[in-house]
Amino acid sequence: MAEASSLQGKLIEFKGASLAVMTAYVRDTDPVRLADALHMMLGGMPDFFAGEPAILDLGQLAADPDRIDWTGLLSLLRRYQLQPVGVRHLPEHLYEGARRAGLAVLGNEGFSAERTVTPPPPAPVAAPAPAPEPAPAPAPDAEPAPQTAAGSEPAHAPTLVVDRPLRSGQQVYAKGGDLVLLAGMSPGSEIIADGSIHCYGPLRGRALAGARGDTSARIFSTNFGPELVSIAGVYRTFDRGIPQAVAGRGAQVRLTGSDNLHTLEINPLQYD
Amino acid sequence: MARVIVVTSGKGGVGKTTTSASISSGLALRGYKTAVIDFDVGLRNLDLIMGCERRVVYDLINVVNGEANLHQALIKDKHCENLFILPASQTRDKDALTEEGVEKVLKDLEHMGFDYVVCDSPAGIERGAVMALTFADEAIVVTNPEVSSVRDSDRILGILQSKSRRAIEGREAVKEHLLVTRYSPKRVEDGEMLSYKDVQELLRIPLIGAIPESDDVLQASNQGTPAIHLKDSDVATAYQDVVARFLGEDRPLRFVAYEKPGLLKRLFGGK
Repeated sequence: MAEASSLQGKLIEFKGASLAVMTAYVRDTDPVRLADALHMMLGGMPDFFAGEPAILDLGQLAADPDRIDWTGLLSLLRRYQLQPVGVRHLPEHLYEGARRAGLAVLGNEGFSAERTVTPPPPAPVAAPAPAPEPAPAPAPDAEPAPQTAAGSEPAHAPTLVVDRPLRSGQQVYAKGGDLVLLAGMSPGSEIIADGSIHCYGPLRGRALAGARGDTSARIFSTNFGPELVSIAGVYRTFDRGIPQAVAGRGAQVRLTGSDNLHTLEINPLQYD
Repeated sequence: MARVIVVTSGKGGVGKTTTSASISSGLALRGYKTAVIDFDVGLRNLDLIMGCERRVVYDLINVVNGEANLHQALIKDKHCENLFILPASQTRDKDALTEEGVEKVLKDLEHMGFDYVVCDSPAGIERGAVMALTFADEAIVVTNPEVSSVRDSDRILGILQSKSRRAIEGREAVKEHLLVTRYSPKRVEDGEMLSYKDVQELLRIPLIGAIPESDDVLQASNQGTPAIHLKDSDVATAYQDVVARFLGEDRPLRFVAYEKPGLLKRLFGGK
């Protein structure tokens, strides 16, 4: 009988596994103020996180609260389809409440997320978010909206190549990697990549590179004329027109400067 | 094989129905057995433009619902031997259109030996417009030379890429043609209007023609005669060129250059 207990016989089995999980740096525990901040950030996209698990990090709280309204906080985050599974950097007197709310109280060691190449850019509530500008309206025929995850997943996803022109209202997201457009994009379309964006042909819509916080991502275009460019959340619109030096020409967009003081630089591309 | 052509634009009032009427008439004049279907359920117009509004008994929805057969619903055009009109319903709404129903109508038209089926799309990007383009083999995208029309056309091209049967089944993509309508070379010259080159540059699909802005179009609509039948009209000539190009003929683009009126013309007037 003991022989017969093969794999099927084991009703439960335990193995170590590592999971890429997002960290939400919560800097204020008041559900009302948080709700406002989240609404500003993700207003149009209630399903933004698409069931992503998250660890709440309370290490950056402005003040040490006496108690936390866990029910309010969790239901708020779940409204955006975020699944809080645990909490860390929590003051000790709040452990009991967190456990009662069903959250795992995690030690402050053993997290790999901090060791990734690019630190996520600071964001008011949950980090990292794709871009700080108002949420883009989801298009009915768009590809799935981007999901954020902690920067622990390496950016080795295959390059996404789009052969046809991207039309107004269409959206493409290259998760974890670069995006190459071979026929350009029209105004009113949107491209998002966790890596860099290469656009052969007109770049006329919104282009967001480094959507998960990769500050080394760049945007290249042979015919520059976007509505908005963003790298790792640092964005620029062109209300007063595209700069003469790059309008309709080859150009690249990149971030310069050091941590917390990034500037978006747009330069003409030099061909020989 | 019946070839399904959708005439679409996204934006309203750009000349879809005028174009559907003229192109279907042009194809029929060339000897092709052609049907033109009005997909604008609830706001039917095509029958007026074709001048057959008093002969409407059954409509597209009746056929889709099996309340009438195609032979009963198709109206024979009064100008062309080979042209038949399937009007939209004035009393129903767009939800009455089902994909299976539309597919069956198109299949039946094919069995009846039609060479071309022209689908006149309603404005917008909702059900009626999507139904009109779902089964298309070719698309004529009607665009006015102004930015909002170009933007809407771009949107419709995106929908064509994602929602047409050809796209969903991964077959060869729908063949796209750009038709610039209500084109005024003078206003382009004055910098008030996008040039057809600008429009083409923005949409990046092949140009099949430019139809000049003209009072003749309104006159033709009021008479219930498709503009292509008008005598001595630039609009009619331009639509004939479009049909010729659609059938693979090579025709130079006309009515796009602005000529300053000469002295005689200024003195004695004229068109």
